[in-house]
Amino acid sequence: MKKLVDLRELINPAHEDINSYAITCTVSRERDVGPGELRAFSAGLMAAIAKECFARGAKDIGHIKAYAEHAGGFLYADTLGTPADVTVEGRDGDPAARFTLVINSVIYGLSAEAVKDATEAALKDQLLKFGLVRGTETNNRE
Amino acid sequence: MKLVQIAGYLGSGKTTLIIALSKSLSERGKKIAILVNDVGAVPVDGKVMQEYGLTVKDIGGGCICCQVAGNMLKTLGLLAKGMNPDIIIIEPTGMAVPNAIKKTVVDNTAGRIDISIGPTIVLFDTTREEKLLTYDTLKRLVTTQLLDADIIALSKVDITSEEAVAHARQSVHRINPRAEIITVSTRTGEGLANLINAVQEMTIQA
Repeated sequence: MKKLVDLRELINPAHEDINSYAITCTVSRERDVGPGELRAFSAGLMAAIAKECFARGAKDIGHIKAYAEHAGGFLYADTLGTPADVTVEGRDGDPAARFTLVINSVIYGLSAEAVKDATEAALKDQLLKFGLVRGTETNNRE
Repeated sequence: MKLVQIAGYLGSGKTTLIIALSKSLSERGKKIAILVNDVGAVPVDGKVMQEYGLTVKDIGGGCICCQVAGNMLKTLGLLAKGMNPDIIIIEPTGMAVPNAIKKTVVDNTAGRIDISIGPTIVLFDTTREEKLLTYDTLKRLVTTQLLDADIIALSKVDITSEEAVAHARQSVHRINPRAEIITVSTRTGEGLANLINAVQEMTIQA
């Protein structure tokens, strides 16, 4: 039988100049977040991450995407970088005081550290803006 | 099981196309499984597809053309033993090299998993031709992806001028003259039937 090729430690050279960062966390506040507010938060987050990446010298936004999920609701947001590109779609559900947030930022022409900084900074700003608190973290990864 | 790849650079419309393609192939009586890869630890695209009621296995935390190729092989093996679909549609990350995925599958499944290689569809975002085929390392990646295509789907044609679409067609044809080129818009549905027919035809032939 042929031996399996172990590629776990190898990164394809074609990925040069593309770096990513992902966040998975819970987000909450005492007062429920309504559907419109959650859509505004998601759209604002996409625009803010793109802005932070460009401010740090990104050549292009590969793809920034996120989803916010709570009991009965699921919103998906993404952007390719320009404000007009931001889309938010999905099921609103009822207002909720707590939701899970997953973010993936994949950026061209920016270091992994800078993609992480940009994503974290944008999230921090958006959470403050909406009075939200970041909770449990799982598997954040560059 | 036939393996169909829907590849292409980040944000080219792969997830939306796979949702439409899977639904259509299912309606034509095919048992479909989807394998989605995302660089984030928790994949976003797979979650979105599940919202549409599709059968999805997702692999996060790296790219299946290199770092997490072993996870892909393991998942293919599990799908073969369990669901045994007619077609497995793979959505690699937007920075994946399709032929590297093909090679991993061919080199590591012979005699172990009953799987054959079907067509590779590479999406090309017509709204971003200038960036995709100009920036040095990005151009190298996108060109490599296009070279690996059996079908090149020129995407987002509903929001691009006819001139830009024509220019994109010429550019991708120069890179890969052997690939069939189809224009699509997943938003309006334009060209989807043509693409689905071509995929089905190639999947049967493969």
